[in-house]
Parts: sequence; C-alpha cells; structure tokens
Amino acid sequence: MSGVSVTATIAPGRRQLVNVRRELLLTAKMRVVWLLVLFAVIAAAALFRIVLLGVLQPATSSQSMNDALLPVRGDIVDRNGIPLARAFPAYALWFNPKAMGDGGSPLVKTPAAVAAALLRIFPDEDLAKLTVRLSSGEPGYLRRRILPEEANRVHALGEPALESPFENERLYPQGSMAAHVLGFVASDGHGRVGMEQVFDQRLTDPASRGTPAMLSVDMRVQGALEDELERGIRDTHAVGAAGIVLDVDSGEVLALASLPTFNPNLIDSAGQANIFNRFTNQVYELGSTFKPITFAAAIDAGVVTDLSRRYPAGKPLKVGDREIHDSHYLGESLNIPEALIHSSNIVTAQVADQLGGAKLNATMRSLGMNERPYIELPAKGFPIWPGGEWSRITTMTVSYGHGISVTPLHLACAYAALVNGGVWRPATLEKLVPGVAPEGRRVFKASTSARMRQLLRMIVVDGTGRQADAAGYRVGGKTGSAEKSMKSGGYNKTSLVATFAAAFPMDHPRYVVIVMLDEPQGTAATSGQRTAAWNAAPIVGRVVPRIGPLLGIMPDDSRDIDISDLSPLVGKGAAE
Amino acid sequence: MNLGRDRARSIGWMFVLMVCLGLTMVLMVRVNAVKSQVRLAERQLVALKREKVFLETEFETRSNQQQLRALNAVEFGYSAPTAGQYLAGERQLASLGKAAAPDAPAPIRVASAMSDDSSAFPAMVSPLSGKAMAAVPDSKTNSRKPVDAGSLGKRLSRIQTQEVIRE
Repeated sequence: MSGVSVTATIAPGRRQLVNVRRELLLTAKMRVVWLLVLFAVIAAAALFRIVLLGVLQPATSSQSMNDALLPVRGDIVDRNGIPLARAFPAYALWFNPKAMGDGGSPLVKTPAAVAAALLRIFPDEDLAKLTVRLSSGEPGYLRRRILPEEANRVHALGEPALESPFENERLYPQGSMAAHVLGFVASDGHGRVGMEQVFDQRLTDPASRGTPAMLSVDMRVQGALEDELERGIRDTHAVGAAGIVLDVDSGEVLALASLPTFNPNLIDSAGQANIFNRFTNQVYELGSTFKPITFAAAIDAGVVTDLSRRYPAGKPLKVGDREIHDSHYLGESLNIPEALIHSSNIVTAQVADQLGGAKLNATMRSLGMNERPYIELPAKGFPIWPGGEWSRITTMTVSYGHGISVTPLHLACAYAALVNGGVWRPATLEKLVPGVAPEGRRVFKASTSARMRQLLRMIVVDGTGRQADAAGYRVGGKTGSAEKSMKSGGYNKTSLVATFAAAFPMDHPRYVVIVMLDEPQGTAATSGQRTAAWNAAPIVGRVVPRIGPLLGIMPDDSRDIDISDLSPLVGKGAAE
Repeated sequence: MNLGRDRARSIGWMFVLMVCLGLTMVLMVRVNAVKSQVRLAERQLVALKREKVFLETEFETRSNQQQLRALNAVEFGYSAPTAGQYLAGERQLASLGKAAAPDAPAPIRVASAMSDDSSAFPAMVSPLSGKAMAAVPDSKTNSRKPVDAGSLGKRLSRIQTQEVIRE
C-alpha cells in the first residue's frame, strides 16, 4: 500500500518536476533572450552615442569658437588690410548706487571725498558735477572709456558702487586720420557720418560682420595727404583744407581728407563742429580749375581745331553791362596753351562763347556737375547749378569756374575723365577687384584727353603750377583761385578758395590729386601771395613724391609726356 | 549539471555585460576627457586670439601714422626719396657699371684709402708725434694704449684738453 502509494505519489511528483523544469528552462531561455535584447539595445545606444560624438561634436564646438571670436561690430580696414576701425572691449566707469545692497548710503566715504579721489585719477573731470552725480543716487556712466590703469586705481578706492564693466567700444587706432571717411559710432551702437553709417547693416549683421569691410583708402597715402594739408594750413593760416587722391581708371578714392578734422574716438563739442566734410559736402566756386574742362569741351566739339590761333586778351571783355577781366595784363593776344598757362579768363570766355551754352551745359551735365557727387558717403553737397538755358554771360562765367558751385569731389571726377581717356566714372570708397571698374560714360574723345594731358603738363612745366612739379613724377594740373561768393551777392575780395587740381604721371595718368585751401592768407611761407600757385600747388608738389612710390609710381627723370608739338606755341616768359 | 552549466552561462553573460559596460564607461570617460581637452584648447585659442587682437590694436594705436610722423619730425627727419635715388630697371643699373667713355670727365672721387700718416679721425692723432695716439706707448707704463670702447671716453677727454691747450 505504502509502496503503491509511494509510486502513486512519486509518479505525479516526477511529472510535476518535469513540468517545473521545463517551465524553468523556458523562463531561463526567455530571460536570456531578454538579456540579449537588452545587450543589443545597450550596444546600439553606445554605438549611436559614439556616432553622435564622432560626427556632431566637432561641428558644434567650432561653431562656438567662431561665435566667441565674432566681433560685436565688424572691423573696417584699408585696402591693404590695416585696421582703421575695430571693435574693442574697454572699461567704462559706471556708478551703481545699489551695489552695497543694504539700502543705506551708496558710498563708503562721502560723495565729495570720492569725487576728489576720482578727480586725482581723471584730472579733466569737473569736481562739482561729479559730487552732484555721486550724491544724487542715480545710476549712470561716470565715464565712457577708461584705461586699465585707471580702472585699477578706481578699484583701489574701495568703493563697491564704482563699477568698471567691460564694454564693447569702437576704437580707431589711427586716431583722427580719415575721420571723415570713417565717421564714428554713436552711443546707440549705430554708425554716423561716414562709412560706419554706410556699412551699418553689414557691420552689425552676425552673418557678415566676421569679415572686415575693406575700403579703397590707403592708410599711408591718407596720412601723407593729411600731413601735407596740415602743413599747408599752418603755412597759410587757412581756415580749412581738403584733398583727395583718386584712381583715374577705377574711381577708387585712395585718400580723402577734410581739415580741420575730428577724433572719432572722442566726439566732443570741438569735434562736432568739424564733422562737416568740406570735400564732399561743401560747394565752392572752384574758379580757374574749370578752364581745362571748357577747353576740352571746345576741342572735343571741334570748335577749337587750331591751338595756335590767337585770341585778343589785351583789354577786358565786355558782355552786355558786364566786364570780364584777367588777374593782370597777360599780353595783347594769347593762343590756347598760353591762355591755359597764364590762366586767362578773357580767352576762356571767348572760347566758351564760340562753343555755346548748350554744349558747355551738356559737357558739365555729363560730368555730373548738376547732381550730387557719386560716392558712398551720406553727406553730399548739391551743386549750385545755373538753371534753364544758359545765357551768354552765364556760359562765359561758368567757363572759368564762376557762377557754378560744386564740391571738390565733382572736380576730382571731372579731372579723372579729362586725363584717363575721357571716361567719367563715379568715385567709390569701396575697394574694387583689380581690373574691374564701373563702365562709366564717355565724356571726351580719347584724342581730346591726350591733348589735355599735354596742356595740363605744360601748365606745370611753364605756367602757374610750377611749384607742383615734383621732379620725375610728370605732374600736370591747373591752379584755381576764386573769391568766395557772399550770401548777400557779389564776391568777398579778402577770402579766397585756392585749388590745385593735378594728375600724375602725365605720360600715363594713374592718380588725380586735388588740394583745396579755404581762405588762405599771404604769409612769408607763400611769399605773401594768396593764390593757388603759391599755396595749393606746393602742397601737391610735396604730396606726390611721398605717395608716388607707395602707389607704384617711381620717379623717372628720363621720362615725360611729349609736349614738343605744343611747346613752340608758348612764348616763355614773354607774356609775364 | 545542467543548472550549473546554465548558471555558468548566465554568469558568463553577466561578465560579458559587465565588461561591455565597463568598456563603454571607459570610452565615455575618454571621449569626455578628449572633449574637455578640446574645449580647453578652444578656450585657450579664443583667449590667445583675443589677446592677439588686443596687442595688434595696441601696436597699431601706438604706431599710428601721426605718432610716426611726429617721431620722424623730431628724431629722424627722413624725407621722400628723390628721382635720382631710383633705378628704372636692369638697363639703368647696368649702365652704372659701364666703363667711362674716352672723352668722359674724370670721375669725382669721394673716398680714399687710409694711411698711417693721415688718419680719417684727426682727434686721435698726437699733435707732438703726428702719429695715431693708440700707436704711441705711454711714457709711464710703457704700454700701448688699448683701442677698445672702454677707453674711448678717456681718450676723447684727453683730446679735448689738448684742443683747449691749442686754443
């Protein structure tokens, strides 16, 4: 019984055991499968992570580095990459009355004592104003830009309320140089006046501000021009001066100066007064520098075919009730080269009369004299242009640069067209790709331009421009000394605008140089003379040797433009 | 026996899992280490580049055109070279070495060889012997005067007194 019962109990027990074992095995297998799945998932995740690290990581990190180095505002550089304006972190001095955080007095010492201590660090501050500011409890800037040494000294005062935060400022390493070209950045972070204003969008856009904006200006040429203009002002006690160096073939401005200038690093009331750009914004009657344009128009139109033809110049030319004079008696009659060399108003007026108002008007229009000058700068002067059909007297006065007021930039572009083969192009301050110049428009024939090069060179060799004749540089140009017109009408006999418009080298003109002096005085340095031959021409004569080699024009005494066909026409010294 | 083998297998799997986990951990740590190294290097790069810009700007500001001009005006007085200082090309350069033409004027000599009698440095010549000071032995020590930079000041001061005597 017991045996049966034992077997009976064992038999189902065995079966159960087999079942349990089978179930256990199944569970174990399932667990292994689950584990395998888990392994697979982990391996896949690890693989995914490795791929993620390997593929994505470098890209994000390089992005962050670029971000870190991206300036707040893009740099402006000259044509050789020398920075002219740069984003620069600098210390400011900020008064934070809540720095102490206890609701009591914002300063440890008395406001007067702190102000006195600050005055020792910044001697140009006003003690009374500082005391008022510090005791007012109003947060604000005490100074916009301080030096690191000054920040350290302020820190040493032990006043928590005087904070020196790092702020992104605009720095112009060259100081006041090219200030009118660059402009400045106002406290709102936007550019004013010059290319800072023109490039504002580009310089602040994160996508484009990483690459600096390149100007056509050459810093060294700009420095030489400003230097010599400053010397000109010192020599002549002029109220101002302006000048340009312009590439005749592309219209690129290599240097543009207007003096007195301002410091874009520090705009104060004295600087504010000088922000006005004499070269692009102020219009002047530029006088005799217009004569070559008139003669070129006459030669181009076929009105003057014989340069040796003599025009009466012995007595003033009467037109209606007006009389046209020369500065002094130049001789009974003059031919075209003599008229230019001695700058005769009488002969120029006769030639213009032959040419006619309509044609002179058309030439002046195609030189852009009736509209604002073409340049990127925001401030451009509108010419005072005689409207309607030009009467005989208007034509005559315009022919020698009176009764029409343009900016010196108009004149620079016109002279570029006069010598470059006759094509007028707009001036630009952006560097162009070499060999790619705007198409421009033809104003003079190439033959006229070649003739004008000879005539302009003759003025410098034999005429009023002699002092501009830098040895070896083959300078050609024309003087112009015009009395300033008064608001009440008529001309102010005592204030002149002396201009010298030049180009070099005349055998293959590359650059136009224009120098203008506003109200120069006769001094010992100019032999007591006030006219352009004595003050503006020598400036060109000093600028050209300084900039020529920098621009790749080497002086050469053995080379010159061929003027042998015209020089017999000039009776040297006879007329003077 | 089966159970033992299964256990061994699961332990083996656990071991493999642990090894894999460990390797993954090591890899992650290595990757993070490299990553932070890269970040550190980048931060250094950024700092150095900023410093470079700082220094560059400082140099530009200190050596700006107006400063250089003022320095030139006070110290050096350099002016623009003249046309005569330039050569137009190889042809002009070669012409300088050309032999003089038969009827050409005699070349102007601006330098001559130094001899013992006539020194180019007259201050160093003894007014008594007419010989160079350095060549005359000192009467007391009977030694030649050294001709080095250290004794130059002494020699020059002696010459000054001699000039005073001569006057």
